[in-house]
Amino acid sequence: MIRVSGLNAFYGQFHVLKDVSITVEKNAVVVVLGPNGHGKSTLLKSICGLAEKTTGSIRLNDTELTGLSSEKIVDSGVTYIAETRELFPNMTVLENLKLGAFCRRARPFEAENLEKVFDLFPRLADRKSQTASTMSGGEAKMLAIARGLMSNADFLAIDEPSLGLQPNLRTEVFHTIKTINEQGITILLVEQNIPQIARLASKVYVLEEGKITFEGNRDEAVGNDHLKEIFLGM
Amino acid sequence: MKLKHMAVIILASYGILAVLPVFVGHTSYVMNILIMCLIWAVVASCWDVIMGFAGIFSFGQVAFFVMGAYCSAILAITHHVPPVASIVIAGVFTAGMGVLVGLPCLKLAGPYVALVTFGVHMALQPLLKGEIGIALGSGGAAGLLNIPPISLFGYTFGADTMVPTFYLILAISLACVLTIMGMVKSYWGMAFLALKDSQPFAASLGISAFKYKLMVFAVTSFLTGIIGAVYGHFYGVLSARMLDLDLFSILMIMILAGGLGHFPGAVIGSFLVVAASELMAPLGVYRAVTMGGMVVVLVLALPDGVMGLFIRRINRVHKT
Amino acid sequence: MFEENTILLFYEITDVIIAGLSNGSVYALMAVGMTLVYGVTRAFNFAYGDFFNMGGYFAWILIVGIGLEFGGYITVFVIVLPLLFAVGYGLETFLIAPLRKRPDWENRVMMLTLGLALFLSNLYMVVFGTRLKSLPPILEGILEIGQIVFSYQDIMIFVMSLGGILLFGWMLNNTRTGMAVRAVAQNPEGARIVGIDIKRVFAATFAISTVMVGFGGILLSQKLFINPTTGGAIMVKAWVVTAFGGMGSIRGGLYAAFIIGMMEAFVGWTFGMSYTIIALFVLLLATLVIRPQGLMGKGA
Repeated sequence: MIRVSGLNAFYGQFHVLKDVSITVEKNAVVVVLGPNGHGKSTLLKSICGLAEKTTGSIRLNDTELTGLSSEKIVDSGVTYIAETRELFPNMTVLENLKLGAFCRRARPFEAENLEKVFDLFPRLADRKSQTASTMSGGEAKMLAIARGLMSNADFLAIDEPSLGLQPNLRTEVFHTIKTINEQGITILLVEQNIPQIARLASKVYVLEEGKITFEGNRDEAVGNDHLKEIFLGM
Repeated sequence: MKLKHMAVIILASYGILAVLPVFVGHTSYVMNILIMCLIWAVVASCWDVIMGFAGIFSFGQVAFFVMGAYCSAILAITHHVPPVASIVIAGVFTAGMGVLVGLPCLKLAGPYVALVTFGVHMALQPLLKGEIGIALGSGGAAGLLNIPPISLFGYTFGADTMVPTFYLILAISLACVLTIMGMVKSYWGMAFLALKDSQPFAASLGISAFKYKLMVFAVTSFLTGIIGAVYGHFYGVLSARMLDLDLFSILMIMILAGGLGHFPGAVIGSFLVVAASELMAPLGVYRAVTMGGMVVVLVLALPDGVMGLFIRRINRVHKT
Repeated sequence: MFEENTILLFYEITDVIIAGLSNGSVYALMAVGMTLVYGVTRAFNFAYGDFFNMGGYFAWILIVGIGLEFGGYITVFVIVLPLLFAVGYGLETFLIAPLRKRPDWENRVMMLTLGLALFLSNLYMVVFGTRLKSLPPILEGILEIGQIVFSYQDIMIFVMSLGGILLFGWMLNNTRTGMAVRAVAQNPEGARIVGIDIKRVFAATFAISTVMVGFGGILLSQKLFINPTTGGAIMVKAWVVTAFGGMGSIRGGLYAAFIIGMMEAFVGWTFGMSYTIIALFVLLLATLVIRPQGLMGKGA
């Protein structure tokens, strides 16, 4: 379980997150919705130790994560999957995946996880020796998720998995996320305005201007008029 | 920093220096040091404006200084040009060299600019010592001796007329530093601030980074060439050994001590460092080691130099 | 057959070519180290050439100073290379890493390392004196193939530099640390995401580049002398090779190193050694004007 309380984050002069508190139960899929530039990515990056400056508390079960370096956080089983292509462009798919298992925690399971990942994304197995920069948007997204899985994480923080994807690929990605979750991995995911995602969620938060403005389960979120209008497009 | 504050700091620093000959005018050793303060203040300020203000990482300032000095001295010795004219020609020549060096490299990334300018510095010494230099009249490895002093309306500013020479050089140095101040505070200066904030925005205003960088390069090279020429005529001897890294690093210490990018910090920095360097003379062979160590320590520990302290003071006064 | 003069000229030219090849191989080593450190850490090290001399002096202390008998140069490498690694690692960790927080850190690193260059070169002068030091050849004797004479020393320098580069290339592709170094060079943020400690990678990279240039120093100081004041010129040379080959391209650096090694040998032979730096500089300017990304670089 991850419990974020009173989190503030800053980028240079900008106060990006203001007293954000969220809870992600074990095995849940929690979705944070919000407009672009309102701090969703920063929230995920803060949890994973990748944000510039944060105050407040982020606890993984009984461990305090704030102040830990990003590599220690990955080692404790929390991995960030980036919205943008934070892959290694001039390396092959296989090298990218192997680097996904760089942390100490994942090393003993590298072969095992590689098999799992190739089961989940057969297309990546076919393209093992292709350079990452030559892949299509959908394939790169799969590789990013697969690389995250290689870290043997219990908790994945996924940044806008649907960004830049066609509707059919989106469905595929969401389906994959569901499968991953069913394998026992807790998921915190941020999205802009994708109606499908609410169906996946066990809990929904809305982040606007750096503050949490809504919190509720799936049914409450779908029933909320404000959310319907702005995010779910219903 | 406001124009007013800059002007006050510059005038106060020069004012203090201007009074000193009253007490030490009879000791030519001290007068020598004071004149060095005036000369290095200009070179350090030019360099600081280039590195700290315009953000061009040039390591060619000492080379331009030496070019100016040699140009004027060779003109005076070999071609019998009166020093007053040769100094001006040297300034123009050095400015031309500045443009020549700036043209190929100012569009490139920082380390390339540093490399090319440092390369100019490194290549100048063998050039001056070698046959090409000798053919031009550089005097080869021995350097130049007997460079005629500046004379104006029949009056000679030489080693035996220290106090008047001091005031002449003070006037030239002050003029140079005020020119730099004008540049920093002019439309150009504003253009650079805009470039620092946002290159695309500045470009949309029609500010071309390259053009402004080249102009700053030309002006600072001109001033450096002038003061280099003055140095040669005052000192009477020149040698390519000035291009050893000692002078280079002392100038860098001046800039760092004053505060990189905080003009007129370099002026104060050069006054302080010339004095400190004289005090360090007893260190002998360890002096250069200490200097190198000081650069490292200053970069790490005092990132804004003396001016950092001033700026904090000014800000505090404004707040209360 | 030929005039005696023509034959002499032929021997002279083969000597120049051999010198160009063995010098070029060391330049390649230095250029690879420089490309590596700039490509990964974005820090420009002005004291690079002084670490070349550091390698030479460390070897001199062991071989000439102490008069080490056991193992010869093998012992020297075993002791000196880890020492250079530690120096580079410490330098990045204690002097450069603290500067990275500032927006203009790249410029400040250049100033700091320039100060360091001054510190080191004068320290060498104080400790070892201004007299040039020389190292004994790693292997004595000559190899005659037909009429052409190779010294074993030149052959060893050539083989060991290229061996060093190949070993480095292998490590880059086949070890975990090598993978991490490449990852940081390609995408520092991505490297942090997968849990790579980029501070340690920076330090290790800096250390490896220090080892490479110091290794080059041990090799080449057997032929040239160890001169405390040459650090700046060596740094410029390594940089010209790197820029000419294309920043970030190891293969470009290799080609450039041999071209420049040859050019230098021929310029030195025809015009005198003091003109080599001017020739280097002209080559650099020409490169920057005609092809700023270098021989094999991918552009800015």
